[in-house]
Amino acid sequence: MREKIKKTGLLLSLLVFFLSSASWLLAGGDLLIKNATILTVTGNTIPNGDVLVINGVIKQIGQNLTAPAGVRIIEANGRYLMPGIIDTHTHIALSGTNEGTDAVTPEVTMAEVVNADDTSIFTALSGGVTMVHTMHGSANVIGGTNVVLKLKWGKPSEELIVKEAYPTLKFALGENVKQSNRTLLPGRPQRYPATRMGANALIRSELMRAKDYMAAWDRYEQQKKSKNPPANLLPPRKDLRLETLADLLRGKLIARCHAYVAPEMIEFLNLSREFGFKIGAFEHAWEAYKITNELKAAGVGISVFIDSWAYKMEAAEGIAYNAAYCTQKGILVSINSDSGERIRRLFNEAGKAVKYGLTQDEALKLITINAAKQLGVDRLVGSIEVGKQADLALFSQHPMSAYTRCEMTIIEGDVYFDREALLKERAAASTKKGGLL
Amino acid sequence: MNKHFKKRQPASVRPLTTAFLILVLVASSLSLAQAGRAEVKPAYALVNCRIFPVAQPVIEKGTIVIRDGLIEAVGPAGKIQIPEDAELIEASGLNAYPGLISAHTNLFLETKEQSQTATPEEYLEALSQPAEPKEFPWLQIVEKIKPKKQTVEAYHRAGITTVVVAPHEGIFQGQSVVLNLNSDQVSEMVLAQPWALHINFTTERGVYPSSPMGTLAFLRQKFYDTQHYSQHLQKYRQSPQFLKRPEYDPFLEALLPFVIDKKPIVFQCNNLEEIKRALKLIKEFRLNAVLTGCNEAWRVSQQLKSASIPLLVTLDFRPPASSVYAQQGQAIREKAEKEIYPANASNLAKEKINFSLTSFGLNDTNFVKNLRAAIKAGLPADQALRALTIEPARTLGLDKQLGSLEPGKIANLILTKGELFDEKTSIVKVMVDGTLFTYEEKGQ
Amino acid sequence: MKIKNMKVNRIKPGLLKNKNQLVFLAALLGLTLLGIYSFPLPAAAQTEDRTEVVAIVGARIVPVTGPVIESGSILIKNGRIADLGANISIPSGAKVIEARGLVAYPGMIDSYSWLGLEEISGVRATVDNRETGRINPQVKAIEALRYDSMHIPIARANGIVAAVVAPSGGLISGQSTLVKLDGWTNREMVIKESLAMIIELPALRRGRGEFAGFRGQQPQVTTEKTLDELRQIFEKARMYEKRREAARKNILLPPPDFDEASHFLLPVVKGELPVIFSVHADKDIHQTIKFVQEEKIKAIFYGVEQGFKVAKEIKEAGIPCIIGSLYSLPPVWEDGYDALFLNPVILNQAGVKISFSSSSASTAKDLPYHAAKAAAFGLKPEEALKAVTIYPAEIFGVDKLMGSLEPGKTASIVLADGDLLELGTKIQKVFIDGKEVSLENRYTELLKKFEQREADK
Repeated sequence: MREKIKKTGLLLSLLVFFLSSASWLLAGGDLLIKNATILTVTGNTIPNGDVLVINGVIKQIGQNLTAPAGVRIIEANGRYLMPGIIDTHTHIALSGTNEGTDAVTPEVTMAEVVNADDTSIFTALSGGVTMVHTMHGSANVIGGTNVVLKLKWGKPSEELIVKEAYPTLKFALGENVKQSNRTLLPGRPQRYPATRMGANALIRSELMRAKDYMAAWDRYEQQKKSKNPPANLLPPRKDLRLETLADLLRGKLIARCHAYVAPEMIEFLNLSREFGFKIGAFEHAWEAYKITNELKAAGVGISVFIDSWAYKMEAAEGIAYNAAYCTQKGILVSINSDSGERIRRLFNEAGKAVKYGLTQDEALKLITINAAKQLGVDRLVGSIEVGKQADLALFSQHPMSAYTRCEMTIIEGDVYFDREALLKERAAASTKKGGLL
Repeated sequence: MNKHFKKRQPASVRPLTTAFLILVLVASSLSLAQAGRAEVKPAYALVNCRIFPVAQPVIEKGTIVIRDGLIEAVGPAGKIQIPEDAELIEASGLNAYPGLISAHTNLFLETKEQSQTATPEEYLEALSQPAEPKEFPWLQIVEKIKPKKQTVEAYHRAGITTVVVAPHEGIFQGQSVVLNLNSDQVSEMVLAQPWALHINFTTERGVYPSSPMGTLAFLRQKFYDTQHYSQHLQKYRQSPQFLKRPEYDPFLEALLPFVIDKKPIVFQCNNLEEIKRALKLIKEFRLNAVLTGCNEAWRVSQQLKSASIPLLVTLDFRPPASSVYAQQGQAIREKAEKEIYPANASNLAKEKINFSLTSFGLNDTNFVKNLRAAIKAGLPADQALRALTIEPARTLGLDKQLGSLEPGKIANLILTKGELFDEKTSIVKVMVDGTLFTYEEKGQ
Repeated sequence: MKIKNMKVNRIKPGLLKNKNQLVFLAALLGLTLLGIYSFPLPAAAQTEDRTEVVAIVGARIVPVTGPVIESGSILIKNGRIADLGANISIPSGAKVIEARGLVAYPGMIDSYSWLGLEEISGVRATVDNRETGRINPQVKAIEALRYDSMHIPIARANGIVAAVVAPSGGLISGQSTLVKLDGWTNREMVIKESLAMIIELPALRRGRGEFAGFRGQQPQVTTEKTLDELRQIFEKARMYEKRREAARKNILLPPPDFDEASHFLLPVVKGELPVIFSVHADKDIHQTIKFVQEEKIKAIFYGVEQGFKVAKEIKEAGIPCIIGSLYSLPPVWEDGYDALFLNPVILNQAGVKISFSSSSASTAKDLPYHAAKAAAFGLKPEEALKAVTIYPAEIFGVDKLMGSLEPGKTASIVLADGDLLELGTKIQKVFIDGKEVSLENRYTELLKKFEQREADK
């Protein structure tokens, strides 16, 4: 009996997957959300507010709005509407995580290995997450370039990529890179770098190589343009690894650096000054509270957990006050999940920041506008404002409450997660033969 | 026996016997050497069969004349004169089709099943060895094949008379060969050698590249390096003075014909994303490419249509691990394998995309079973036939010799009792290069 | 001889020279004794506070087992709740704690944690929760419990006053303990030294269940086989005891050699020591219920991710369920994305006694949020609160001592500035057994240290 219920349910979920890729069946980017408690994030909270979305863009915010005929109306009934949650550090929706063989692999491009079939996308949507910065892992000192995706479940992979986001290059320091928590197999040598000083030296040497590479190309270009280019003129070998590092030096990429302990961050800031490259944020940054002055002065933000700590030595001095304290010190802070499980309760993680010193409004920013700013997409998303893309999430209670749950997740006016519809589907499947679930 | 021989032979006669034996040996070796020339294949005339020429409409009752391994004539019964030296094969009640071509197999290769049988200790032992990359762009797979008679027979029973044997290890796997399944002698079987360079979107283990994104960067870098190498070589040939000599690189040397001279490259795509990744590389480096695998091709049909690249579509319906259908529990995976993936070919057909079908990933029995399932799922039978005859022939550049029953083409054909793709149909006779193989009807 | 005589000769005359001196001595003794009884000597730091009379006044009181008192007081005497109500009399001399604007709750009980057994999970030297081998009924969590773990003050500062500390791993992991989160040594923390035997049945396997890199070599052990194995182990223990009993009665009978496993499993097979079964799939839960009934042992279930499918059966069997961490993905995709959250709701609605656990050391403080998560998906908020207070107390047989605010129970009380299960709530005070415990912890220490950097400027 349960098998039959299961099978019908499975058929239905398959159907839902197919239908969601047939955009003609959805609202097509037009919605009118009525009577919501609108948490705009950058402005005041609007009780009993309406949001009109046309062609995936927020057209109007107010009270008693009307929509053109045919536009789907969503009755919020006082529920809380917030901007879609942005997770600035994940590894979902990718065919691989680490090119862990070499310590320097900037040539690998995560944008080329997006996997839109990853069910983690659905899991994230069920937690109100609409956008992710999905990255190369932290196995290497220099990993690869990352990609920002909108979680349009059911759409082809190329439609998920957010082209407007800052192009970023993953760096990592500390224990993962040193492989210090791994058992070395006999016959396999310890990979360089085995120390934090080796990691920094490696970055320096690679960037110097990149500089040489850029100089070689400059020389070639000069010679080619000259009146009598030499007969034996041959372009330098195109090296994808050094090309990417050259882009970092040229300012075409910004660094996102996984660092836990304070000296790692201080020294990486020094490297960035030495070579003139930009840092987008420090990932995890468990000891950021120790160096708020340095971070503030450098204008570098952090993307952190709230209280998942003590799993490695370098996380042993992480404190749950980190996010709140750094926010209070004027640092741009976002909360991330770095996990296909935590991503669906990212809003709870941000909610904990209230206990550690922030207001609910400030905590809400940690997973919306702050994240958007760090990714360079704050013109497009991160708050509920007229003109921004309609990436929204509807919650049963205030998203910073422990008692809330995500009811609906909308990306550019299309509904990608609808709990009510899901429950109806389940009820239909189970009433056929009776049963609890 | 020795005792007996000793008794009979007096000592004086022994040298004579030895000389006689030597003579016999020499004579027989001579005849063996001339076997190809000495052995005469009969001319055949298949009469009264229902012929599916593929290039022309069905001939209800026709004649096919075969001589010296080639089709001499094909036509309706009345119109074709039967030569007097032809051996008559009564084929009334039988259907004649061109022999099927499976343009992607790993036939006759010894595969290492180590990952299946390793114990934890062996596995750790293997992990402890310094890892070495396994890349073989120079590999001519024809050197590795060990044909077996049973396999040839099994494939005949599935209706297959021509196969591409492709290498199967590494990212740059090596170069494939086209074989006619006319015997178990490699020298007789080779039709085209080499055919194409095969590339698979897989990874190395323990060495670079060990991830999908690493593999893509690795491929791209190799293609750039080949271009640079070629540039350097060219320049050095034109004017070597004052120019640093290009360093000999066997890897890049092996890639030159394919990346620079545009010989065919086959990309193995195991899911829809790999198809997209292949198309991107093909466009970027303007490669002469073919895609194989393509089990999720229907999900990228628009891009495939505009790319207009030959497709070798597998009939292996198992959903890849990356697929959304493989991540939602056993029931959905099984359902997808039974209902969604078999419709791949029919969906492509609906989009008017040309493709070949292959037996890649399957044995002969499953190939037939899955072929029937694909037709049941909506692929028209005549398109299925073309996808196993003229389409692969075209893709292999052998459409002047294979893929249809036309005069001048190689005599590869199959005679069936029943419609080719029906459940109860059996293949009674197979002809490859004019050699006739008769099979007993299997009780099905 | 000489010395004795000398002694007697010296002392005797000096002491009882005259009757007056005797009377004086007697009076001195009497007064001393009086003093001892009126002014008890402080034996140790804890007991000092316990004899104090403390009154928490003006708080909103949530007793859990009774109606909420909007504004009331709690009187603490000798470490116990002496009285509580809207209008109770507060004896003079009582230490008054002004609690207007605060809410008083019973302290929370974590039904499964590794507090004190794990400091930094990635550093093996600091991890003691998992012994090697399959059968380890002899190991006792209390004997490894590191009472000055940095995670204990953090959990305590969030309102958790007691926790089950459990070993894990293998089949029979060992004996869990119930401790209060206060004490100068592990022994001072003990509420129940040996709370329950931990037995772990096979987990629900997600994915292909392959050991990365090679396939098919690890046979999947089924629960059925595991229960068979347990049956044999229990039977062996009974046999062992029979023979030992017989040998005790008859000196001629040789007693069996010491069998470690049988010896330490005896309290289990005798039905004295309950077993916490870590069990997950619905079929496995069903089989385990049968096993428990056949073996006639006391049982508690832990994990029970698919308990919702057999809720009625669990209810009829009368087996309480400790819900595993809700910081997890549903092991079976087909059950739905919210299956893990709905599970405790359905169990509770079916009448099963549930409690929540942190299943952690470093995030043990999150116990209330697991309960709130279930409430977000339909569990009544009052039930959610009970599932971290009175229900675990009942499950572990300490409900006469703790789990609610009632006169007679121990004064383990939490004063919060809001809903105890809410994320933003700040805990202002925690009392354990009547003693106000410090809320300083690793987080606050490090924060204060680096706040100093600003001050130093």
